[in-house]
Amino acid sequence: MDFDFSDDQVQLGDAVRKWVDKGYTFERRRAAEKAGGFDRAAWNEIAELGLCGLYVPEGDGGLGMGPVEGMVVMEELGRGIVLEPLAQSLIAGGVLAGYADAATKATWLPKIASGEALVVLAYQERAARYKLDVCEAKATQAPGGYVLNATKSVVPVGDHADAFIVPAKINSQLALFLVERQSAGVTTRGYGTQDGSRAAEVMLKNAPATLITQDGLTALEHAVDIGIAASCAEAVGVMDKAIAITAEYMNTRKQFGVVISSFQALRHRAADMKMQVELGRSMSYYASLKLNAPAPERRAAMARAKYQLGQSMRFVAAQAVQLHGGIGVTDEYIVSHYFKKLTQLEMTFGDSLHHLGEVSARMQDTAGVFA
Amino acid sequence: MDLAFTPEEQQFREDIRAWVGANLPTDLSHKVHNALNLTRDDMQRWAKILGKKGWLGHGWPKEFGGPGWNSVQKHLFEEECALAGAPRVVPFGPVMVAPVIMAFGNAEQQQRFLPGIASGEVWWSQGYSEPGSGSDLASVKTRAERQGNTFVVNGQKTWTTLGQYGEWIFCLVRTSTEGKPQTGISFLLIDMKSPGVTVRPIVLLDGEAEVNEVFFDNVIVPAENLIGEENKGWTYAKYLLGHERTNIADVNRAKRELERLKRIAKAEGLWNDTRFRDEVAKMEVDVIALEMLVLRVLAAEKTGKNSLDIAGLLKIRGSEIQQRYSELMMLAAGPFALPLIREAMEAGWQGDFPGGAVANAPMASTFFNMRKTTIYGGSNEVQRNIVAQTVLS
Repeated sequence: MDFDFSDDQVQLGDAVRKWVDKGYTFERRRAAEKAGGFDRAAWNEIAELGLCGLYVPEGDGGLGMGPVEGMVVMEELGRGIVLEPLAQSLIAGGVLAGYADAATKATWLPKIASGEALVVLAYQERAARYKLDVCEAKATQAPGGYVLNATKSVVPVGDHADAFIVPAKINSQLALFLVERQSAGVTTRGYGTQDGSRAAEVMLKNAPATLITQDGLTALEHAVDIGIAASCAEAVGVMDKAIAITAEYMNTRKQFGVVISSFQALRHRAADMKMQVELGRSMSYYASLKLNAPAPERRAAMARAKYQLGQSMRFVAAQAVQLHGGIGVTDEYIVSHYFKKLTQLEMTFGDSLHHLGEVSARMQDTAGVFA
Repeated sequence: MDLAFTPEEQQFREDIRAWVGANLPTDLSHKVHNALNLTRDDMQRWAKILGKKGWLGHGWPKEFGGPGWNSVQKHLFEEECALAGAPRVVPFGPVMVAPVIMAFGNAEQQQRFLPGIASGEVWWSQGYSEPGSGSDLASVKTRAERQGNTFVVNGQKTWTTLGQYGEWIFCLVRTSTEGKPQTGISFLLIDMKSPGVTVRPIVLLDGEAEVNEVFFDNVIVPAENLIGEENKGWTYAKYLLGHERTNIADVNRAKRELERLKRIAKAEGLWNDTRFRDEVAKMEVDVIALEMLVLRVLAAEKTGKNSLDIAGLLKIRGSEIQQRYSELMMLAAGPFALPLIREAMEAGWQGDFPGGAVANAPMASTFFNMRKTTIYGGSNEVQRNIVAQTVLS
């Protein structure tokens, strides 16, 4: 049992932090948000750091790293509330490396690793909410492969992505497919999301698709779990920074002739924020360290982690704004953007109520970190 | 980074589990698993079994006769004991005063006091709080006046847990009123059979006398019972408070009580009630998050590479969780938590009540008793002051 980071992991985190601090200023982020919520130039810089290939095997042009490295990177991106969706590349790399055939891997993994191809998970449907086994998308066999008919919602950077990983049913069997955005029969309708990033509705009408795996539910659950672990880590970074911003404000803002950090009611709130971020960090470690566990153990761990992070995010976000007073609710000041990021993360890959239900359904007689 | 225990640590756990399984009397584990009353004899019996094995002072280094375990081994031992339903080791002797005697006592004091603590023969109490000194402990007023080779002690201690059984008490006493309050305090060991010592039980809201007032009326204490230097007691007290900081989170007990909560929910027909079950699920996440927090602290202690500034969090969260599971158990019992049948909290009592009152007799009592956890050991509000310091400084 060891929770220290290796020297390499520390260096990786430092490199990302340096880029975020120097290369991803609040002004740049604001400009990207205004321009639609996705900055291809920023994406390319992230790719140049090698981050898009974090979960792509070395033989396929990636770094072949593991969940702890993913966690380190996502935490740093969280600190800078980076809009560009690296979690999607972690999912795409992990899922294709784990489930696709050799030809598909050879075609896509090097491009994912280099950042040349942005491949995102398009799984949400109107009737499914956060449930993974509810799917109306249909796949039918066609000459040379399959065609898909589906409407997928809130797909991250859906109108910029190069390809989608799409769950659809072959008869009643859930399978996972890869669909290129430029293919015939694919239309997208993009929009900004509440946290300033970008998403789209993706409509597939007899769109040609490559089968990734017939065991779609297994692969989709794994994909979402990679996303959960990544968003837990990202949330820790966002919370860390939100608390730091709040502490700095409390130590400078004066009322009644003294800095407001001298008031015990507010100090206790700061202590409670620290509690929530440390519980969250603990469960983010737990999620990442369980990401390679057998599926039932992994799934249970992700539900527990995401529930804790959901609670932590709601609390930290609310208090970060509250402790700022009026300036906290302005668009101009940075903390409101942290609030919105935490709000959106809580609702990404299943919200707290959904995951509480998952924990509840999976409860056994005994429970603990190792059970 | 690695979540798993090493193969050696897992073997260590197996060995402990086997030993506890073979040596923990089942009448004791039955009482613990069902929150039935434990007598002084019950607690002493387990203490002496551990003492004979050399594990009552399980945190002690080898040079003082302990097993010399590291932080992870200590945790595994405590977890196995807790899950098996062992009575909690009364900490005042082996966990609290012994490390102070080891660190600051002289060789003579070590030879005199440590064997009785290690064997479980001598029952120790803690004399810290006073009627006027709760969170503000440095304001203690109990006087110890030096007269030749003795101290004459006058004053009052309070909230002395299980002091009615105490044979010795370690006290913070005022030996000087000069300078800051912290600088005039000494650490004194007092034989509770000394003339002038009076112990008066305080009945708490659960009807039990778990704590006491201890009065000192011209009590003569040999000067050789002073630990370390006169007026340096505050330093020793702080050392003691910093010791075994993961202990206070009590996560192992929380894991056992979570299991019990699930048993109770099943027995009361609530296991498939979504509203109640979700509360248990929240508790499960809370316990696991606390366990991860504790493991992080333990791992940091073991490697010594980094120190985590989160000890205050452990106390706050652990105590909140203890209150919550006791509350949920009481709610699970529903109306059958309300009858106050004290006899039903004794093992083996064969009362004849048709409803659920007998099985659920301890629920409200435990809930009441747990109010103390957010107050003792530095109230949670004081802990928040300490935690806030780490955020805002």
